[in-house]
Amino acid sequence: MDKAIRKVIIVGGGTAGWLTAGTLAAEHLANTESGIEVCLIESPDVAIIGVGEGTWPTMRATLKKMGISETEFICHCDASFKQGAKFAKWVTGAEDDAYYHPLVLPQGYAEINLAPFWQQHKTDMPFADAVSFQGYLCDQGLAPKQNTTPEYAHVANYAYHLDAGKFAAFLQQHCTQKLGVKHILDHVTAVNAAADGDIASVATRQHGDISGDLFIDCSGFKSLLLGQHYQIPFICKKHILFNDRALAVQLPYADEHSAIASHTISTAQSAGWIWDIGLPTRRGVGYVYSSAHIDDAAAEQELRQYIRPALGPQGDSVALRKINIVPGHRQLFWHKNCVAVGLAAGFLEPLEASALVLVELSAAMISEQLPANRAVMDIVAKRFNDKFLYRWERIIDFLKLHYVLTQRTDTAYWRDNCNADTIPAELQALLQLWRYEPPWHRDFSQVDEVFPSASYQYVLYGMGFKTQTRPTARRADNSALAQQHFAKNAELTAKLLRGLPANRELLNKIRQFGLPKI
Amino acid sequence: MPNHQLLDNITHKDLRVISSHHPRFGDTASYTNIFCSELRQVQGCYPIFFRKNTDSAQFETIALFGFASEENLFLDETGWHAPYIPLTIQRRPFLIGFTQQDGNEADAQALVHIDMDSPRVSLTEGEAVFLAQGGQSPLLQQASAILQAVYQGHQQTRAFIDSLLQYDLIEAVTLQVTLDDGSRNELGHLYTINEDQLAALDSNVLGQLHQQGYLQHIYMILASMAAMPQLIEKKNRRL
Repeated sequence: MDKAIRKVIIVGGGTAGWLTAGTLAAEHLANTESGIEVCLIESPDVAIIGVGEGTWPTMRATLKKMGISETEFICHCDASFKQGAKFAKWVTGAEDDAYYHPLVLPQGYAEINLAPFWQQHKTDMPFADAVSFQGYLCDQGLAPKQNTTPEYAHVANYAYHLDAGKFAAFLQQHCTQKLGVKHILDHVTAVNAAADGDIASVATRQHGDISGDLFIDCSGFKSLLLGQHYQIPFICKKHILFNDRALAVQLPYADEHSAIASHTISTAQSAGWIWDIGLPTRRGVGYVYSSAHIDDAAAEQELRQYIRPALGPQGDSVALRKINIVPGHRQLFWHKNCVAVGLAAGFLEPLEASALVLVELSAAMISEQLPANRAVMDIVAKRFNDKFLYRWERIIDFLKLHYVLTQRTDTAYWRDNCNADTIPAELQALLQLWRYEPPWHRDFSQVDEVFPSASYQYVLYGMGFKTQTRPTARRADNSALAQQHFAKNAELTAKLLRGLPANRELLNKIRQFGLPKI
Repeated sequence: MPNHQLLDNITHKDLRVISSHHPRFGDTASYTNIFCSELRQVQGCYPIFFRKNTDSAQFETIALFGFASEENLFLDETGWHAPYIPLTIQRRPFLIGFTQQDGNEADAQALVHIDMDSPRVSLTEGEAVFLAQGGQSPLLQQASAILQAVYQGHQQTRAFIDSLLQYDLIEAVTLQVTLDDGSRNELGHLYTINEDQLAALDSNVLGQLHQQGYLQHIYMILASMAAMPQLIEKKNRRL
């Protein structure tokens, strides 16, 4: 039991597999004699799913820790900048119905909650615009930094849009060439159990049995180790998040000067929503919907309607890719000496780009708390399970929040989404509380929450939620400070609108000159 | 759009160019690009820093003339007061332009161009560019030599800076200057040699930098900081 954990086997070579491999290998010096051994087995027969064209800002630190140059990442993965999401037609469905969930925190968020002051004095402008500059930058198609800003540093907080297929290939090259990850192209045919129930090794077609101390399941929806071998049950969340199907398509730009949106555009439809993600060379567009509320043919019509302005008559014939999804996650993520990361652990609709951030968080926790030996692994496993069950639940709550505040009643999909039976109890309690107090730091207890209270503010007040003013007075009156922060935000907005380049312009410059390291 | 024209002795036969320095000729910028070949002369007069080019964000070496934009403390109504004037100032109003043959970029030829919008360009004042018979005047011959040095300087300096970046020898610096009137001035966006990193270099790298002549460049740049008190003094005199 006190045998040291020296050899980590990762099964699966998509973005989850390579991000986990890179994070572990970089931290635990897999390219030296004294470090751990990281070995990734990738089946040559299985295509990667390539979900997740959107990331969280955390991806910057994840890549930096792996020793990746941001310039190379942007050029090789067809990446562009993402400053948040714009939600269109989610509230009333009208043409001008839209709000932003930006990635910057509201102005002065460490010291003051501007939400009540906005509700009292500033409702003539959208909440996101009153407390942050980022919606304006998105409206103008501006980049979140200048070309003189060093790699990974920001002027406005940002994440990425990327080509998931290219990203996996890029990570593979970096992991194998720089970080000492051993890459085995082979098909896993069986899992060999040890007497104590641990995984002793995995059997492969050409490389025989490959043994290890810790096995990481990155095998995608198949969940080869955790799901198939250990039979850890899958908890379906379709009764909360209805969407179970997606139709995806790639669209070309009109020409090489077309603006590249620096935010994800999410447009609500009759039974789901359409994502629209701008990469430097193409747009990725898809309709994710509930098959219980719309049939495939009707969904296809709605998607074709959306892409018609970009493609013209061609839009009626372009091929669409259909993806079936089951929203939910495993009951446990770490069992014995096996932990699942990525789709093998679970999947939710890509509404807030939670897939890759969960991979990063999982890889980071496995890496930071990598058990020294088998004896302490169960302790770390329990911590991991507690933490990630909490995280999946908070993400589900946050995604559901986008639906329950709608005023749309035009289809059964929107009406059903507001049915109390479909809303988790925790979220119902918070919504009740927020009728009298705006969301604030205290509402979420963990130091490393996936979605901070600020995100809840952006969605709540973006969707027109009303928090009532407290009927009785309190000691501190912060209204002067609030006015200062509103003024500061207006000042910053004007300054950044003047100083930041267009998103495409910066991406072109990066291709030409690269970003400076310092 | 700037009006840059390829120089020829027919179109520009009567052209004259003013070489003296005066604020009205547009020499008022607070810094200019400099090259490795002139570091020795520059360091005797001006503090040398690195700065990111506003267009490409690539590092360039610069000589500092002042503390605010459009403040050149070496320039006044009576001329430019320093023993040496950097090449990128001396070349004005001439510049290098590239003329493509048959649209082939590799064959692009570096040729002398002139900025026709420059206040230095005249038909009445200054020295002639071409001689009566169309030959190059001494002024143009000298300008060609300067442009040649600028052209080579760009490439040499690029290689020098790449080498500095490779060994993490460049670091950001914020210049804080307190003037005689008590005002505090802060100058950002500047970079200098990282002396801690320099001191920690191993002998192999040092030997290599020495062979390339880069070690001397590095010490010229460090030595140029001795020109800083003089620059501050000039500023104080203008208060």
